[in-house]
Amino acid sequence: MIPPDPSTTNTNTNTNTNSFRELSPMFVNKVRLLLLSGTAVIASTGTAHAAQTAAGTTISNTAQVTYTVNGQQTTTNSTTSTFVVDRKVNFTLVTDQTTSTKVNVGQIGAVTSYKLTNTTNGTQDFLFDTAQAVPLGILPGTPDFTLGNIKVYVDTNNNNVYDPGTDTATYVDELAPDASIEVFIVGDVPATGTSNLAQVALHATVAAGDPNGVKGTKGAALIATDLNLANADNFVDIVFADGDSDGTAYLGDIGRNGQAIAYAAYEAGARNVALTVTKTARVISDDVNLLVFPKALPGATVEYCLTVNNATLGVNATNVVLSDVVPTATTYVPGTLTIGLPGVLGTTCTLSTLGSTTGFTGAFDASSKTVTATIPTVVGGGSVAASFRVTIN
Amino acid sequence: MSNAKTVRLFAAAALAAVLTTPAFAGGPLQVASKVLTEKKAAAADGTTRVTLVPTKKVVPGDKVVFVLDYHNTGAQPLANVVLDNPVPQELAYRSAAQGSPTPEVSVDGKTYGELGALHVRTASGGLRPASLDDVTSVRWRLASPITAGAHGQLAFQAVLK
Repeated sequence: MIPPDPSTTNTNTNTNTNSFRELSPMFVNKVRLLLLSGTAVIASTGTAHAAQTAAGTTISNTAQVTYTVNGQQTTTNSTTSTFVVDRKVNFTLVTDQTTSTKVNVGQIGAVTSYKLTNTTNGTQDFLFDTAQAVPLGILPGTPDFTLGNIKVYVDTNNNNVYDPGTDTATYVDELAPDASIEVFIVGDVPATGTSNLAQVALHATVAAGDPNGVKGTKGAALIATDLNLANADNFVDIVFADGDSDGTAYLGDIGRNGQAIAYAAYEAGARNVALTVTKTARVISDDVNLLVFPKALPGATVEYCLTVNNATLGVNATNVVLSDVVPTATTYVPGTLTIGLPGVLGTTCTLSTLGSTTGFTGAFDASSKTVTATIPTVVGGGSVAASFRVTIN
Repeated sequence: MSNAKTVRLFAAAALAAVLTTPAFAGGPLQVASKVLTEKKAAAADGTTRVTLVPTKKVVPGDKVVFVLDYHNTGAQPLANVVLDNPVPQELAYRSAAQGSPTPEVSVDGKTYGELGALHVRTASGGLRPASLDDVTSVRWRLASPITAGAHGQLAFQAVLK
């Protein structure tokens, strides 16, 4: 802000030279010299950024003047010119994880992490919202699911880890200049359907901090000051100086809009599934009772049934290899290995047989007395069974 | 709410500035301080024209120009004129403004001279050559008297920290 001064009109520096016509050439040389060295210093200090002058600071300038008139020394002051430092809004929002978050189907509260840094010359609030439509090309892959119950939480306890129930704030409250804070997107992975990849965008908007720095109130989103308005110089003007957070190739964010966007992905892919194997035995027949209520007598035929269950919904287990050593005092019955979908419990172990179009393969190694069954795929939530028969010696 | 408070604060500051002016109305030498900022605008010929405008929008990193306008309102010439301008601490002195004589500078407010001749005491007790960022005051000593009715301008550039 300028104190009233009728002589202050739009002044072009070039027109000021009239005032210095009596300058000696030496003065002019010095001016040029200083300008040159000044430029050099600006360039070298540009990277090492000291703390910025806070928005709202009033800067005053007064010169002291001494002179002699009729041999008598007099002292006076110039008028005081003042201006108010305006708010240079700048901040960064980056994805604070190098890989996609690995999730399980049906997982509740899957987290992606982001870091927000305030480089404004003042304390600011920041507001958030999310999107699950990421511009093509920013992240690899094609998303095939969206998160449910998606929320944004701020790392209230500053440990860079999402703590459910503790990190409950949904906006950043009073972030000091040059301070950083972690922000999380938390969402649920659907339990049904194909769920391999989800992409999310965190959108941050700068908001007003409390004038007294008191926490607890969510500020309103800032709006850059229109300097064409009258009396704009009487305010702490708001100047957006933030960069284009996703680059000029993408229109998600643009520079100097007081907003930023960061992207991350949730991936349900190469990882462990909950695979379990259960083994049951059933006597098929004996030499005395034949097939009617057979007992485990010497010479009886016993069927072993191995059932593999993949409890991870939506994710296939591939290349499952089952191997089982035939018990001592029993003899493998050649050609009895069957692999297929489970049959009726206690009655039929499998529904299909070896060598069908399912791609199942199996073998018996006589030297190690090991039965091996190879199952190309156990679908998420599904089971595959393998059975073979032995005779009791 | 906060805006209203800010406005009131600045209004008070403006009032103070107005009120101080009559205090030196009695002296023959009137010196007005102004602060200007650079405004860049594309000219019709494709070049960028830089003009100085009254400071409305200043954010850290911006260049400002402090101008001292002097005017001898008396009937006598004024001799040995010395204008001493402490640089506000939030600003880093850069150079004399274009067209203005170069001021002597000081890093302690006592010793004035060319920057190259000045030194700053370091934390370890040694001395290092002063840099532009160390300048705390600028001073002009006018070589010739200001004749009755004469006007003049002195100015320096600084960058808001």
